[in-house]
Amino acid sequence: MIRNLIKNKQQNEGVEALSNDERRHFLKMGLKLTGVFAGGSLLSLVSVVVKVYATPGQFKDKYPYRPHYSMVMHLDYCVDCERCIEACAATNDIPKYGFRTNILERQIPDGIDQQVEFMPVLCNHCNVAQCARVCPTAATYKNEQNGIVMMDVKKCIGCLSCQLACPYNARYFNEEKWAVDKCDFCFDTRLSKGVDLTACAEACPAGVRIFGDISDPKSRVYREVHQVSRTVWVLRPEAGTKPNVFYTRG
Amino acid sequence: MKKLLLGMILLGFVAMPVFADDSGGDIHYDKPVIGVLFSHASHVEEAGLDCDSCHNDLFSMEARAVQEEQDFNMLALSEGRYCGACHDGEMAFASSTRCASCHEGAIGFRRSLGLNDSGGRH
Repeated sequence: MIRNLIKNKQQNEGVEALSNDERRHFLKMGLKLTGVFAGGSLLSLVSVVVKVYATPGQFKDKYPYRPHYSMVMHLDYCVDCERCIEACAATNDIPKYGFRTNILERQIPDGIDQQVEFMPVLCNHCNVAQCARVCPTAATYKNEQNGIVMMDVKKCIGCLSCQLACPYNARYFNEEKWAVDKCDFCFDTRLSKGVDLTACAEACPAGVRIFGDISDPKSRVYREVHQVSRTVWVLRPEAGTKPNVFYTRG
Repeated sequence: MKKLLLGMILLGFVAMPVFADDSGGDIHYDKPVIGVLFSHASHVEEAGLDCDSCHNDLFSMEARAVQEEQDFNMLALSEGRYCGACHDGEMAFASSTRCASCHEGAIGFRRSLGLNDSGGRH
């Protein structure tokens, strides 16, 4: 048996006898392995934006808003001082029981020295906003100009469908307004009045929250999200909502 | 004399745990930002530092007195003052790294001091 194998191995048929079809098939296999046919996702040198939005070259068109507001979180700088939460509450008149932004805590028992990580969260202002899709009265909607997911308080009937649909738990019911309330990147209180930073980004003493226009190549959010050498991710990408809040470290 | 010696040894045994309890425990700072934990246990028992490694040169004996100092902040630490005297990247990890090692945050602060969180976050 083994002798037969060795004998067979010695009988190399050479490449001359291979048909063109077989050669092509072999080459295609190589392309599949190197990820060229998988949209470059296996061996990708392009940044995470490509995965989140589309293939290279297309993603500029995939920032459909001008300005396209976005936030990058430098996760490891967050120390949960909660000045962002306080600034948000003061700016947007948030009741004690409510929140527009929050800080989550993750325990890492095996961590060296540091065994805790804090994660600031807020509305991701998704391009495919599930909340806006399920709202029966269009009380919550994507602003067509800047992409902010907004609330028309008068239209809200308090069915809380949007709370169920939101993958990010970014909404609460405001009993004073008798409507669901959520982050609007401080559009009502600041952006529409000419201030270019959200209250939380301005209040952060550690530079965790970088806010800006991701469709503008000169903005810091654009540069950080498109920097190949930087690992950038989004929360719950499997929800397929194309969020506009990005996370990174360092 | 023997009795005195025995008494002193006994006193020593009795006093030991009292001394351990008296080594400061955990200190939770809330200025200039809320939720910074200093653990005497990890510095004295694990790292093996003496009291006079820090007292009274870097820190006075009174807990949290230092947080009333205007320059008790990360900038001072990076310039080698306060915690930064050791946390310089050589003796101990640099104060500009591993933020949440010391920053327990408002969440940790409330949890450690048993503060009621049901009243909301702000």
